[in-house]
Amino acid sequence: MNELELQHGFSLQRFASRVARAFLVTAGYAVFWLIVWFLTSMFLAGFPNYNRLFSVLAGGLLFFTFAMVLAEGTIYKHILAIVRAFFLIVYLTYATNGGTLTINLENLTFTVEFVPLLALMVVINLLEVARGLLQAIEFAAKSSKD
Amino acid sequence: MRLTIKAIGFTVALLWIITLTLPVSVTLSLLKLAEGKNLGIKEPTFTFTNGNLSLTMPFYINNTGFYDISEAKVQVKICKANIVLAEVSKTLPEIQAGQTVEANCSFTASLEEIFQKDQTLLTEDADLNVNATLHFRVAYLIAFNIASVSATQWGAPFHNLTVYGETYNKTSHVLYFYVSFNNHASLPLEGSVTVSIINSNNETIGATSLNLNVQPGEAFLEHVEVAVNSQKMTNSVLVRLSFANFEISRRLVQP
Repeated sequence: MNELELQHGFSLQRFASRVARAFLVTAGYAVFWLIVWFLTSMFLAGFPNYNRLFSVLAGGLLFFTFAMVLAEGTIYKHILAIVRAFFLIVYLTYATNGGTLTINLENLTFTVEFVPLLALMVVINLLEVARGLLQAIEFAAKSSKD
Repeated sequence: MRLTIKAIGFTVALLWIITLTLPVSVTLSLLKLAEGKNLGIKEPTFTFTNGNLSLTMPFYINNTGFYDISEAKVQVKICKANIVLAEVSKTLPEIQAGQTVEANCSFTASLEEIFQKDQTLLTEDADLNVNATLHFRVAYLIAFNIASVSATQWGAPFHNLTVYGETYNKTSHVLYFYVSFNNHASLPLEGSVTVSIINSNNETIGATSLNLNVQPGEAFLEHVEVAVNSQKMTNSVLVRLSFANFEISRRLVQP
């Protein structure tokens, strides 16, 4: 162990195992998103930009999964959970066009409006933000005691 | 604090389950409603009374889905190019889950209003756009809007209206001419037409009436004689045909 590792408790081996664990967990989630994509693309492929929007959601959430597993045991995990909640609020509002989706099929226009449902999703993510904040405060309080 | 965090976590999980289950169950509910003979439209009837065209469409819905259907509304808009000729809408009753509703969907459009917006519809065939929209809300949360645009051909009742072969007898002060047109409309033209002669000073100088009985697709040709006020006769006159509340004018120049 070198001087830096002794001072900061930083171990290259521990970091490598953490990265490996983060990769494994992210890979697991990636498989889950792939299955979701296969199942949903059968019905929702008609929606405009479906593939692009799905890739942004899956990519974004996989990034947060990787980062949060990597930041396990630190305050950054809770900060990332808060950022993820805000990302989901913005993404859901943008991807669903404010809760109104429209498909054009030749002479037929089909519109689904689910603003109350979108509002519920925003509320859920705001609750996630609150939970993340409380967890961060609890973590900080616990760390200063130790 | 730990308890609060746990409570929020539990609430978030519960709300996600509700949020993700609802669209799936609404879709299943609509699929259940669409299968079998749960929806039906009986034969529509067209009536023409007092210058109003009415369409009555009886229908029934057996809501076998899991949720109530509310805010159901049908809207029909008829346009020619960018002009909205008629717009009718009908709000349908709320259909609770497990209930069957039988109702009539009636639309009434005033032909007078339509012809006021575009007089050429009386004498010229046209391509019209019919925009039909069906709106309804399932489970009071998710609204659906289905809009269709279709083209339809308008048949003018006085298509190719022509006033020709005019002669004026200066001794008997009678104006003779022919009136011809084709009824391209789907309704028969029955009733009396008043033929008025209007001089350059916009004064009515003579009038007569014709009896119409022109079936759809039939042609009309009639030789008309109108006794006119010789003192007010001018070189150029207007022949005005008044049928129901509609008026069509054609200019005649004395030979």
